[in-house]
This record gives sequence, structure tokens and C-alpha cells, in this order.
Amino acid sequence: MPVPARLTVNSLSKTFGSARVLTDVELTVLPGEVHGLAGQNGSGKSTLIKILTGLYTPDPGASYEVDGRAMRLPVRWPDVHAAGISVVHQDLGLLDQLTVAENICVGGYPTSRLGRIDGRRRDALAARTLDRLGVTLAADAIVATLTAAERAEVAIARAMRDQNGDQDKGAGLIILDESTRALSGADLDRVHQLLRRIAADGGAALMISHSLPELIAVTDRITILRDGRLAAAGEPTAELTEQEIARLMVGTSVAAVTRRPEAPASVHRDEVTVTGLHGAHLREVSFSVAKGEVLGLTGLPGSGYEDLPYLLTGARKAAGGELRTSAGTVRLARASVAACLRAGVVLVPERRDRDGLAFDLSVADNISLPVLRGRGRPWFVSRRWQREDAETSARDLDIRPRTPSILIKELSGGNQQKVLLAKWMNTGPALLVLHEPTQAVDIGARTDILRQIQRAADSGVSVLLVSSEPEDLVATCDRVLVYGREVGLRDARATTTDELIDMIYATNAATAGSPA
Amino acid sequence: MTMSDQTGPAADERDNGSGAQPRPEGPRPVSAIRGRLHWLGSRYALIGVWILLAAVYEGLMPHLFLQASTAQAIFGSQSPLLFLAIAALCTFVVGEFDLSFAGVMGMSATIIPVLSGLHHVNIALACLIALAACIACGVINAFFIVVLGVSSLIVTLGTASLYLGIAELLSNQNTVSVTDNAFAQVALHNFLGLPLSFWYGVILCLGFAYLLKWTPIGRHIIFVGANREVARLAGINVNRIRAGSYIAASIVAALAGIMIIATVGGFDPTASPSYLLPALAAVFLGTAIVMPGQFNPIGTLFGIYFLETGIIGLQLLGYSGWVQDAFYGGGLVAAVSVAHLVRNRTRTA
Repeated sequence: MPVPARLTVNSLSKTFGSARVLTDVELTVLPGEVHGLAGQNGSGKSTLIKILTGLYTPDPGASYEVDGRAMRLPVRWPDVHAAGISVVHQDLGLLDQLTVAENICVGGYPTSRLGRIDGRRRDALAARTLDRLGVTLAADAIVATLTAAERAEVAIARAMRDQNGDQDKGAGLIILDESTRALSGADLDRVHQLLRRIAADGGAALMISHSLPELIAVTDRITILRDGRLAAAGEPTAELTEQEIARLMVGTSVAAVTRRPEAPASVHRDEVTVTGLHGAHLREVSFSVAKGEVLGLTGLPGSGYEDLPYLLTGARKAAGGELRTSAGTVRLARASVAACLRAGVVLVPERRDRDGLAFDLSVADNISLPVLRGRGRPWFVSRRWQREDAETSARDLDIRPRTPSILIKELSGGNQQKVLLAKWMNTGPALLVLHEPTQAVDIGARTDILRQIQRAADSGVSVLLVSSEPEDLVATCDRVLVYGREVGLRDARATTTDELIDMIYATNAATAGSPA
Repeated sequence: MTMSDQTGPAADERDNGSGAQPRPEGPRPVSAIRGRLHWLGSRYALIGVWILLAAVYEGLMPHLFLQASTAQAIFGSQSPLLFLAIAALCTFVVGEFDLSFAGVMGMSATIIPVLSGLHHVNIALACLIALAACIACGVINAFFIVVLGVSSLIVTLGTASLYLGIAELLSNQNTVSVTDNAFAQVALHNFLGLPLSFWYGVILCLGFAYLLKWTPIGRHIIFVGANREVARLAGINVNRIRAGSYIAASIVAALAGIMIIATVGGFDPTASPSYLLPALAAVFLGTAIVMPGQFNPIGTLFGIYFLETGIIGLQLLGYSGWVQDAFYGGGLVAAVSVAHLVRNRTRTA
């Protein structure tokens, strides 16, 4: 073998109790490549990463080699790390109040002989690492002041830090565990270029991502897991299309969500009207959503449109504005969540873990929460309808497993999102407001969720889909509004994803300064 | 090194267990039985430990431990502590924290004998006045914690000492007592072999458990405890429930004080801090049973009598004095560790 692979894993299986989560998986990452790892939620991706980093013990029989040297299983993280492997987590793990250099050197501060941190050498080490990676950043800048792309660069620089200078230039393997999730547009390109530079210098990266365009754009080869087995073992990405990758992940051909037929004009009667809504970061907007319509709303990240779902549902205090539905009128400046709920306005928030669901409680408990007072008597709530509602929802939305008593934290991300949608659909809303409903869910769940949104509209609900995913918006919405910081809302009149993206940038072009 | 991904092993396992691909039906029945046993084990292991404890004591003291009189000693004497543990539970289930409940109980147990014994106030009226004073204590806690947003740990640590001081002032730092036989009968009257006070405690626990499980307000309380933001976005008035929990805790603590005066007849105000740890130990021990990892009234009921069984046994063996403190303290640490391990097991199993 001329050049040993940076990382080779063979015959890897993992069993939890009676369930086999990984079966005979192999993974090879070569020097000089960016290797993609893809798979739906629940395909065994996370388990694989946890075995690679020594958090889980694999079943006997597996082999694990770094640069041709066999590691003893279960691996110990310090050994793996010493061999040049490092991880960048989804949340990047940066300390905002510290400087770039302090963040880069965390865990390996150069010290003087007495054990004191040597600030000069620390800054020099950080600067050397940044320089080697071709990143222009001041080592003494405070991380909190950086842009999203710069923060990602700092996290990557930390992973690629010189180990006291004795490590070969370009050596190492960096594992990116959905670390680019929060990035888009130019920011994402910048990080991709950095990864390409690392690979060109002889380094290697293993990139876990949900985004098919990203996998196509940046990886050389791709390994795909499906139900804990290999669906593709290091296939060259150049030979694959998005459709083919999706098919390998799901196992069947993915029927793209079809665009809805135009809603007949006669339905534009019974509608939800929002007038003069404005908040701390949102200039005044007015719009209306017809009964049975899916209205999309988007804009540039950070322009303020992300606040709209929360201002509209009483979750955050608006500075002013009025919301009118068939069930009543709400003055948003002093509205409570309860008042908005009474008017039939419900919110599927972006952060399902923090704002959407109680993870330690069951599916049935979570789904029935908003309707407990209405359907139960003050002294008694039957468990039966709660269970039946949960079963019906599980069937309609294909939530797996279909056990009402299972805890939310035991479900995969896509299934959690479906439960969240079911919880609010169950209330029979007049206006369903969704914020990024397909974030971090796999393709199968995404299709289910978008289809369910359309079904909700077909049943007569007004739907407002606030999203940064142009594809979702074009596929699902009857109309898309684009928000610009200077101009407010504009009708996008876009029929393709490209047109919509152009429109988003055009609407914000008037904004002073360049979009960050 | 931890991974911050939502999809844990459990998610992987569930998806595979019921995934789209049909799997050969091999070890299913066996694993179903094992799963059932594990389910039972994780919920009721503590009862097994309890039986084991009784068996060990009976082995050490043949014909002495498993006697009706021992059972009466265990179940007949702990109702004030049970009420107190339920008072603690009131705030814990909504994710709040209260250290002042023992001080509130001390207020109640001091005001009643001071009014009734020294000032000859009617005992029922004295109880009502004590209850009102305790509600005021709960309102003070709620004001600082919910309205002003001060840390509950600091507020209740402070008010615990404040209420203790007030009780000492009222009693002139003396033990105060009441002699009212009719009042004592309210708690001590024998019913099915055990004093009424025991049954009050059982009814309180069952009622609380029913409230949490079967009423809208109870489910709302559980959600406020599980995830405050989710509860708020479901239209629940979270602050009202939080404030209510402090006031409910003070009411139950007042009842605990009434139970003390009715069963014992007197109270030493300086003793109230010594009630804090046993009550907390029982509450945390309760999280290891019935609903593992969650605060629950039935678990607390078991926790109280489990701890008392251990102590009575040790006392019968001739250890006394120090045993109580050591057992409650050790029990608390053991209970929290067990609950922690059980919770981790249910997460990854």
C-alpha cells in the first residue's frame, strides 16, 4: 500500500439490547479528500460517529486504523485525538467571550515552565494555524464579534491546530458533525473553500451533512448509510446526482413534492389579515392569508423576518399591529399566547427541542397539551382520546414508531417534527404559522411534512410558512412574500428556486451595505 | 467528549425496530419478556429492596421485626414528615426549588400552641390563623421568585431562616405545647389499626397523584416542570402555576405543622430545620420508583416509609440517636444516585 488511508474502519456493527443499529459498516477516508457521510435520521450516522470518537463500544470483530496503525477498540478519545483526528460539533463549541487565539488553543495552551499559560506563544500558535489554513483573522479578536462564517473557521482552525508544532503540515482528519448547518450562501462557500484547501494540503475531512447540494459541492467521495447498513461505500461524488444520493438514502425513488395547483379565486374570502405588524427588528408589514392558502415568507438571514412568526403568535411582544381571523381580532402589542390561540393562531416554532416539545414526556402527552382544557373536564381528562389522537396522528403523518406512550427524546428528529406539527394541527387552527419546519430533518420526513402542510391548507386552514429554504417555498406555497429590511414585503412571483433566490437578493439589494 | 446530536442510540434503535424493512421474527418474544421485566424492574425495584430490607431485619431479629407493633411504629408516626415531603414536591414538580417549607411548618407548629396554650384562642381558630400566616409566607416566596425573578435557591434559603426566626420570636425560644384531647383525636383516632393521620397522608398523596395525572391543571403543571417555554407557547399561564406552587407548598407545610401539634402536642421551634433533609430524601427517593426519573407523589409516599423502615430496624437493633441523621443523609445520596442511574439506563437501553 503506497499511502495508507487516514482512517479505515471495517466490519463495524453495533447492537443496543436486541436492536442492531449498525451492520457491517465500513468507512475509508483518504488523505487529501473531503469525504461525505449521509443518511436519514435514524440511519445510524450518529452512532457511527460516537463509535469513531470512542463514546460507544462497537460489537466485537470491528477494526479501526488511523494512518495504517491499528487502534484498540473501544478507542479512547485521547489516543484518537493524538493520532490527529478531531471533531467540530454542530454548535461549534466556541466560547463567545474569549479571543480567537484562546478558542483555537483550548485544551492545548502552550505553557511556561511554571505551568502558566504563555500568551505570546499561544497567540503565535493560533496565528500560525490560521496562516497555514489561509484564514485572515486577528488572533486577538473576540469571538462574539465574528460573523457566522468566521466562527466556523475558528472552530475548524481549532480542530486543525498544530500539535506543539511537531505535527506534519497538513496531516490530520477533521470530522464535521453537521457543523455547517447554520451557514448559507456566501458564508457556506467560504467554509467549503477552507475545507478544499485543507484537503489540497494533504489533510482530510469527514463531513456529515443533511444538505445534498452541499455534499455534491464539496465532497470527493460519499458514504451513505441506510437502516444501519452501507448503501454506498465511498462512491465518487462527481458521478452522482442529488436525486441519486437521495435515492440511496431513502431506498426508493423520492417523489419530489409536487407543486400545488393554483387555488381557485373564489376561496379568497374568509381570510386571516395582519395589519401594521412591527417589532424591535421588523419594520411594519401587512398581509393576508386566504383560507386554504399556503403563503410563504422569506428573506435574507438576519434581516428580521425570522421574528415574524413569534410576533404574530404572541410568543414575543410586538410593538404594534393587529391580527384578524374569523375567530376574533387580536391587538398584537399586548397579546398573550393564550389570546392568539383563542383567535386560532398556532405556531410551529423553529427550535423543537427548546420551544416545541417536552422531550421527557410522551407523544400522547405532547400532542394533547393544547387541547386539554377544551376537551377534558376540569376534574378529569380521559387518557383514551389522548391515546387515540396520538395514534391517528401517527398514522396520518407516518410517525414511527406508532406508540403513543413513547417519549419524544426517543424519536428521530424528523419524527419529532411530525409530532410537533400534529400537536398544533389537532387544535383545528385558523392560521398555522410554521418556522423552518424542515430544518435538520431527512428527505423522507421533509416530504411528509411538506405534504402535510398542503393537506392542512386543503382542509381549509390558512398557512404561513416562514422559511429560508427556497425549494420548500417554491414547492409548497401558493404565493411567496420576500421581506427586505428597507422595503418591507414584496410579492416574489417566482416559479423556480433560482428566481426566488434572485428575488431575495434583489429585495435586499436596496439595503445599505452588503448582505452579511 | 459528548456529541450534541439529537438522534441518540434510542432513536436509531426505534427506527430500526419498526423500520420499513420487514425483519426475520426471531428473538422477538424473548426480548419482549425481557423488556417487560426491565420495565417492571426500573419502576418497582425499590419495593424489592424494601422487602429485602424487611427480610434482613427479620433474619437478624427473629419474631421481633415482622410484627404488627413494628408496622404501627413505621406507619403510625410519620405523617407530619409525609405532609412536609408533599409540600416540597409541590414546587419540585413545576421545576421550582423550595428550602423554606420546613420553616413554614415551624411557623404553623409554633403559632397554634402559642395562640391556644398561652392566649387561650379556640384551637380551630388558631389553626386557621396559622394557615393564613403560612399562606403569607408562600406569597412572599412567590413574590420574590416569580414576580421579581430572584433565584429560588437564594430566596428560600433566606426565608427559611427568616421564618425560623419569627417562630423563635413568637415562642420566646421555648418548647410550646397544647393539651386538647379532642384535637389530638382528629389525628390519633385509630382506623383500621392505624391512626387517622396516616390515612390523611395517603389521601393527600393519592389526591395529588390524581391531580397530576388526570386533570388539565395537573397536566399543565407537569409541562411547566418539563419545559417551561413549551408550556408558555401552549397558552399556559406559567407564572401563575409557579406562584401557585409556592402557595400550595406553604399550605401543605401548614397542614404538616397542624399534624405535629395534633399528634405530638408540642413543638420546639428550633427543631424545624431538622425536618428538611428527611423530607427531601423521601422526595428524591420517590423519583426512583413508579415513574423513574420524575418527581411523583406515590413515589414520595413509598420513600417516606422506606426510610422509616430502615431507621426503625436499626433502632430495634439497638442503634439510636445518630442513626436517624446518618440514614437520612446516606439515603438521600443513595436515592439520588439510583434515580440518576435509572434515568440514564432508560435513556440508552
